[in-house]
Amino acid sequence: MAENILEVIKLNKAYGALQATKNLSFSVARGHIHAIIGPNGAGKTTLVNQLTGDILSDSGKILFQAQDISRLKDYRRARLGIARSFQITHIFENLTVAENMALSICAHSSHNFRFWRKGLQSGVVREKLADCLSRVDLEKRGHIVASALSHGEKRQLEVGMALTGQPDLLILDEPMAGMGPGGTVELSKLIQKLKGSTTILLVEHDMDVVFSLADMITVLVYGENILTAPPAEIRQNKDVQAAYLGEQD
Amino acid sequence: MLLVVEQLLNGLQLGITLFLMSAGLTLVFGIMQVINLAHGSFYMIGAYVCATVAAQTGSFLLGLAAALPAAALTGMLVEVVVLRRLYSREHLDQVLATFGLIMFFNELTRIIWGRQPLYLDVPPWLSGSVELLPGLIYPVYRLAVIGVGIFVALALWYMFSQTRLGMQIRAGASNRDMIGALGVNITLLYTLVFGLGTLLAGLAGVMAGPILAVESGMGESILILTFVVIVIGGIGSIRGAVAGALLVGLVDTLGRAFLPTLFRLLFNSATADAAAASLASMAIYILMAAILVWKPRGLFPAHS
Amino acid sequence: MKKLSRKNILIAAGALFFLVLPVAATLLEETYFISLFSRILIYAIAAVSLDLLLGFAGMISLGHAAYVGIGAYVVGIFFFHSSEAEPLFTFPFLLQGSESGLLVLPLAVLISALFALVIGALCLRTKGMHFIMITLAFAQMIYYFFISLGKYGGDDGISLYSRSSLPLLDLNSDLTFYYFCLFFLFLFVFFAKRLVDSRFGLIIRGGSNNERRLSALGINPYKYKLACFVIAGGAAGLAGGLLANQTEYISPGLMHWTLSGELMVMVLLGGLGTLFGPVLGAAVFLLLEEILAMYTEHWMVYMGPFLVLVVIFAKKGLFGIIVGEKNDNG
Repeated sequence: MAENILEVIKLNKAYGALQATKNLSFSVARGHIHAIIGPNGAGKTTLVNQLTGDILSDSGKILFQAQDISRLKDYRRARLGIARSFQITHIFENLTVAENMALSICAHSSHNFRFWRKGLQSGVVREKLADCLSRVDLEKRGHIVASALSHGEKRQLEVGMALTGQPDLLILDEPMAGMGPGGTVELSKLIQKLKGSTTILLVEHDMDVVFSLADMITVLVYGENILTAPPAEIRQNKDVQAAYLGEQD
Repeated sequence: MLLVVEQLLNGLQLGITLFLMSAGLTLVFGIMQVINLAHGSFYMIGAYVCATVAAQTGSFLLGLAAALPAAALTGMLVEVVVLRRLYSREHLDQVLATFGLIMFFNELTRIIWGRQPLYLDVPPWLSGSVELLPGLIYPVYRLAVIGVGIFVALALWYMFSQTRLGMQIRAGASNRDMIGALGVNITLLYTLVFGLGTLLAGLAGVMAGPILAVESGMGESILILTFVVIVIGGIGSIRGAVAGALLVGLVDTLGRAFLPTLFRLLFNSATADAAAASLASMAIYILMAAILVWKPRGLFPAHS
Repeated sequence: MKKLSRKNILIAAGALFFLVLPVAATLLEETYFISLFSRILIYAIAAVSLDLLLGFAGMISLGHAAYVGIGAYVVGIFFFHSSEAEPLFTFPFLLQGSESGLLVLPLAVLISALFALVIGALCLRTKGMHFIMITLAFAQMIYYFFISLGKYGGDDGISLYSRSSLPLLDLNSDLTFYYFCLFFLFLFVFFAKRLVDSRFGLIIRGGSNNERRLSALGINPYKYKLACFVIAGGAAGLAGGLLANQTEYISPGLMHWTLSGELMVMVLLGGLGTLFGPVLGAAVFLLLEEILAMYTEHWMVYMGPFLVLVVIFAKKGLFGIIVGEKNDNG
């Protein structure tokens, strides 16, 4: 279990003069909850997008399960087992909650050129839909159009969709953003539950959440990895405090 | 050889008309993110107003002087009354509303000017031909069109690179949020840009007037060519509009002129003529498809 | 799951209306209505197929009339060669003309779908405004291509002397032809309804809603969108094949881009993303055109501003207004 599921090697991405990620290297051990923290503008979301294939890196390598995925399209990476949630909720607002979840189920089944049978009635969907919805406490909300959900429920749906395919690596981009304290606790519990079965890369602002959940933390400042270490060590580190923790609260 | 030069000049002239059309439209697309099918209507309005005024007064220049503000003012009116409401809407709404505008303008010109095409005469001081090279005689009017086009291109270049307004427009075309941040009155800027675009369309209409028939619906054939230009050049890019317009103008003109001859070398004459005619009419679309495969966002994409 | 909602009542009433219309028209000796409504049924098929693109897949195609035109030309060209007793081509195999509906109508669908496949594959490399302009440009290319075909009448097109022949059915009877078209409309709307609710439909709707999310889930939207484009193109080809039979005349005018625009108007007028709405939209648009044209030859001068007002103020379309509920697809 100690092997690394993800290795990031000297990743770079520049937007004009702005270097969003800079010679960034770190690795994520299988089964860990690995957090990425850093002040605003540190390049966290850029990094997530580079990992998932939403944007291509200028240089550097991304190894996922020892396979170089740096040049693969986003949907190919997803099929290899990288799932993500977005910082700004990305769900299918016009579809019902059940349809949203059904889509995430279909994504992991290769027979989608099915034109006749109702999507929600098809075998795989019927088999898994109830479990997938109840995992994120949305079993009673299936018939509702997603845009009518509360913000917290949308986040739950978003995470739930990412979880459907039992991804090997789950990337959560600020899952707690905009959630009330209650929602934060709920989601933390969910992440805790997943620990061990899924490797999680957690980008998060909420330090309490990060320090309570993470096995390993990478601190990102101006696109550079200034330290990757277990939480206890991060807390002690002077550089980190100066660069980041000092600015909080 | 002289024939080639002559056709090159013809291609240049078509390219320049297309440039005038696409320069304004690509800015409207790029800055307001609004798809405007009615751009050809302003081309038509320019041609009709010029033809009418020139016929009444006998002066092409007066016709031109009336046509430009007519096109610009109609454009700004349309922007204020209709398009402004569509900026935040989906493209589909914009397509349908501007399609409605085309119907309206086409029919309106039929009501005002009737179904018969008008003919706009070349003014006497531009009629006649000059011998450019020994044996190459070319109409002065077409040369004047080329000259005006080059002048407008230079003027636009000056405006965009040297003046404050131009820089604001350029900033808007490459980054929409930025113009707001610069403290510019966006509502006014949009109206002005739209007016500038329709003014250029009106100018293109005036210049095409003596070469083509002035008739209802004349705007649409040029509109679709303009779309091809913008697709090739990249939305929001003036540079792209120049490159696309010249490419389309040249490919279309040269294709029509020389494909039949070329094909006759290869096939028997009946097949050759039919095949060449088909291919020539499709040449620019094939060019567009080829560029799309190579660069889906056009040659000079403005948004990165 | 059968509810007696307003929506279902409206749909049933519409179906009943189309079923009894020829009877009423015959009784009233207004047989003109039968051919007018045949045309409405045919345009309804095209409008519903466009609704798949506009209302469900989020692909704003401004060139849909091209596929209608191709379908019409398939029927027309086969008819032409059959009446001239001259093969279409002799190489690589001999292909004779035909008047058989069993051959030409399926071919109209197939060939339109094939064009949609090639054009769609190119167009779908782009998004947004580019896509709109490119679909229009390719449709225009096809329009000019058919104009350049001097053999088939160029600009003027060709007249057919009779409708396609079918075993048991005589399409030359307007009544039979009406029910023939109605059958295809019912069939296609039913198929389209199944389609949008199917797994494929789910992906199509999801893609139009949030393509990035779809990719992040591991679905490449491209091939699904392309398949949808091809299906819509094939259905438009069917409409074209029927249209050639209805008017017994084909010309490049059928694929003029204003017809693509009018198809869009039908979809929006009836109700985007409702499938049934575009049928209503086609009926209302063509009837409105017919009625306005009786009073003034300049009917477009009223239709244009009306359209602008509909877009700005009545986005839900007639179907949405009558049913009073949200569209199937928002």
